[in-house]
Amino acid sequence: MYRRNRLNINYKLQDRFDLAIFIPTVVLIIFGLLAIYSSTFNHPTASGNFQKQLIFTVVAIIAFFITFSLPQQLFKSFAIPLFFASLFFLLAVLVVGKTVYGAKSWFGIGGFGFQPSELAKLGTILMLAYWLTYKSRDINNLLDIGVALAIGFVPIMLIMLEPDMGTSIVFAIITISLIFWSGISLFGLFIVLSPGFVVFASLFGVYAFVAALLLIVAALFFFKRDLFNSITVFIINLSAGFFFDYAFKILKPHQQKRIASFLDPSADPLGSGYNALQAKVAIGSGGFFGKGFLHGNQTQLRYIPQQWTDFIYCVIGEEFGFIGSVLVIALFLTIFLRLFKLSATAKDKFSVLIIIGVLTLLFSHFAINIGMNLGITPVVGLPLPFLSYGGSSLLINMVMLGIVMNIYKNRKLHT
Amino acid sequence: MDDNNFGSYFRRRIIFVMMIGFFAICITQLFNMQILKQPAYSEKSDENSVKPIYQTAPRGIFFDRNHKVLVGNKPSFTLRITPSTYDKKLNLYIEAILGTSPGYIDRILKQNESYSKFIPRKIAKDVSFKVIAWYEENASKLPGVDYIMETQRDYSFGIMGSHMFGYTKEIPMEIYQHRKNEYDIGDDIGFGGIEKTYEDYLRGDKGIKYMLVDAKQKTIGKYKNGEEDQTTVKGDDLILTIDKEAQSVAEEAFKDKRGAVVAIDPSTGEIIAFLSAPQYNLQDFAKVTTNEVWRELNNNPNKPMFNRASMSTFAPGSTFKMISAIAALEEGIIDTNYRITCGGGYQFGDRYFKCLHVHGTVEVETSIEKSCNTFYYSLVNKIGLDLWSKYAKKFGFGSKSRIDIPEEAAGIVPSTDYYNKVYGKNGWTKGFVISLGIGQGELNVTPLQLAQYAALFANSGKSARPHFLKGYTDTRTNQYVEVKPQTYDIGISKKSFDIVRRAMYLVVNGAGTATNIKSDELQISGKTGTAQNPHGKEHSLFIGFAPFNNPKIAIAVLVENAGFGSTVAAPIARDIIKAYLIKGNKEENKNLTAATNVQEEQIEH
Repeated sequence: MYRRNRLNINYKLQDRFDLAIFIPTVVLIIFGLLAIYSSTFNHPTASGNFQKQLIFTVVAIIAFFITFSLPQQLFKSFAIPLFFASLFFLLAVLVVGKTVYGAKSWFGIGGFGFQPSELAKLGTILMLAYWLTYKSRDINNLLDIGVALAIGFVPIMLIMLEPDMGTSIVFAIITISLIFWSGISLFGLFIVLSPGFVVFASLFGVYAFVAALLLIVAALFFFKRDLFNSITVFIINLSAGFFFDYAFKILKPHQQKRIASFLDPSADPLGSGYNALQAKVAIGSGGFFGKGFLHGNQTQLRYIPQQWTDFIYCVIGEEFGFIGSVLVIALFLTIFLRLFKLSATAKDKFSVLIIIGVLTLLFSHFAINIGMNLGITPVVGLPLPFLSYGGSSLLINMVMLGIVMNIYKNRKLHT
Repeated sequence: MDDNNFGSYFRRRIIFVMMIGFFAICITQLFNMQILKQPAYSEKSDENSVKPIYQTAPRGIFFDRNHKVLVGNKPSFTLRITPSTYDKKLNLYIEAILGTSPGYIDRILKQNESYSKFIPRKIAKDVSFKVIAWYEENASKLPGVDYIMETQRDYSFGIMGSHMFGYTKEIPMEIYQHRKNEYDIGDDIGFGGIEKTYEDYLRGDKGIKYMLVDAKQKTIGKYKNGEEDQTTVKGDDLILTIDKEAQSVAEEAFKDKRGAVVAIDPSTGEIIAFLSAPQYNLQDFAKVTTNEVWRELNNNPNKPMFNRASMSTFAPGSTFKMISAIAALEEGIIDTNYRITCGGGYQFGDRYFKCLHVHGTVEVETSIEKSCNTFYYSLVNKIGLDLWSKYAKKFGFGSKSRIDIPEEAAGIVPSTDYYNKVYGKNGWTKGFVISLGIGQGELNVTPLQLAQYAALFANSGKSARPHFLKGYTDTRTNQYVEVKPQTYDIGISKKSFDIVRRAMYLVVNGAGTATNIKSDELQISGKTGTAQNPHGKEHSLFIGFAPFNNPKIAIAVLVENAGFGSTVAAPIARDIIKAYLIKGNKEENKNLTAATNVQEEQIEH
């Protein structure tokens, strides 16, 4: 048996190591390096970023292979310690963290920084996967839903305090996706999602808020649950609206502005709307073939501040044109579809939820970032996985792919 | 409920559709932006990063009729302030270095407050290199201050010519509103005189350099290696009809006088000299003109801004006697045998009109030669007001000559209608008409009209519209284009003219009123005059032409408050005529043949 397996490894690499994920990932990282180089060379403050990212890449790939080689059972036992360690770091960063662009989300270690919220992504995914698959969990039990939501909610609150809106949203999406995947009923999903709906509606003013609440009442009639359940749900929704209103007021001015700028992009064209506009101009002016590497005037003349982080995609749009932009999206699609397929072949629910968690994480980052660059979603500060400059994000993304590959490697083994 | 299972098919479906759906949206948006709307975005991107830098074109140069430079250009530094980024605390430093009075900058900024504060204001033109060196050293501490190289009018060629040349100044808002396509805020535009009339020839085409700028508006380099740049095209050079020597003599003669000179080539209408004194210094206008400079010029009792040569009007006195003489001869009212006896005046009704002397027997020739008033008191009465008026108008009085500068007055030639209008049908008497015979009363003429009047006598009724522009060089084609206004003939017989011209000859060369300027070389003919002035001493007038047989120059000279025409105005006229004719005879042939070559040489270098 052992012999045969080893032979398989030797002759069929694909059987143990999924090239359909690894190769697109490497190509995306290369695209990212090119774009970082283009947007930072000769830059007064960021010209060292390319070299730094090269180091990050090497570290991340090493981390990927380490994770890939670990015994699979280890991940389950990592879940609880990693989750609480994440919470500890999230708390610690609020006290001793470094403030960058108005958010306290960094630990400064020497010349490098580390974002605990990146670590928390891994911790939360593992923890949720662990909790939701622990023994015979009933996801349609209100208490179990509550605990699952709490696992997601605690890091979300801590990250909101930094404040980092984008990452909070990603955590919320991950939490809801995993609960959804665990087989929650339509009513359960309604309970989970309706407060979000009410909060979103309240952004548009009091009338929208009231209208949303009326829709909730209508939906409650439709579900025909008992009065106690219905009233509980309604009160949760009502308080969510008020809570958000309160939360909005304690938001930092730049965050309030971002929300306002999403609702009315023309209101603040030189503020948060400026980046979005310049990014669109960069991408649109790229045309079919692009202006050529290092020849995009929007990029080279530094029209987009901090382009190497959240607006890295418009470097590609401008310099590599429609072809480059579509290629990047296609590479992401390949990875996502592959992850999606792997989720069906994993041998246990824990593994499946991890893959779904990773997929959700990468996809939400991707969708929010690309949507922002293309001007179809609001400006929310989130990096584009594998391409944006940033060590923590690349490291954690590669570690998570390492875990997924590890699951893939072990899919045929029985424990 | 099958759907509620872990990772059920239904749930997979939802996630899958969401993913594919988002990709479809992204590709659609990319296609829309990068292919359908690419041109629009490209334009925006270029607008972003390509900054046009305008270079003002040097204005065309003024040459005189012999291709000597009258008004040129010189490079100069202009200091500018952009209010949006400027800190008013810097006023004191800049005023100190410019050597201007405190508050100068505030005043300039206030003058053009209505413009956008992002547009640079010219604070001082023609600033010294010392100021520029100071600026360069301290540029980082002087936000909103910069300087540009411009060309500026150079008036250092020996003549002032302030009223005919006019000046340039920054385009005023009310003109800019109508000519937005042609001008930018801060551009200079011709204001008054030749600068205004020929603005479209003179201004040339602005050059544009396209520079790449980064998000901080810092210049990075040339856009497309300067392929799209437009070079500046210098304005067309004007060859004026002015004779530099004659003009210079006129200006010299009027240094401490008030008055006007207009000299015209009688056969072509070319203006040889044109002066209104006192003049003002055009160089003052080449700098940024403050309101004080304006106020000072406008409040000066000598009215230096007023163009006396074509705008001042007065009764022309005895110079007008030839109108009655021509009218009477032409209409057959008198002939050369007609004579009267001057006993020192003329009784009309209960009024007695005086003559300056007792002339005894006077016929038409002596009436002009000796300037006998009595002759004309009775003659104008014989001619009648409206016939007299008709002849005055034939000579161009009472209407504008359509000279090619905007400043011109029409004057007044009274007629029955005119008096009826002013005084009512019975409010005036024939006595009003008697004064007109000797050019007094409600007759208003300009020096320019008098010069043209003299030209018509010189050339026996044929002349052309008086004008300054002889030709111009089209900078684009480098061709010289000559401008020739149509000649006209006022339709009066040579016979009548011969009689009057001979009389005018005798004024200077016989026993007339201006024998003091008699010159065999110049052969001047003319007529003196004294214009009554209600505000002070009479104005001294002389009109004339020379040489008698083939007149090359006709002239009118007005010296304000100088008394009799012969003593002051006539010698000035002689000097100008001399300056023009003596040199003109020597150089004329050479000029005609070498004209184009000379002019090209002077433009090239």
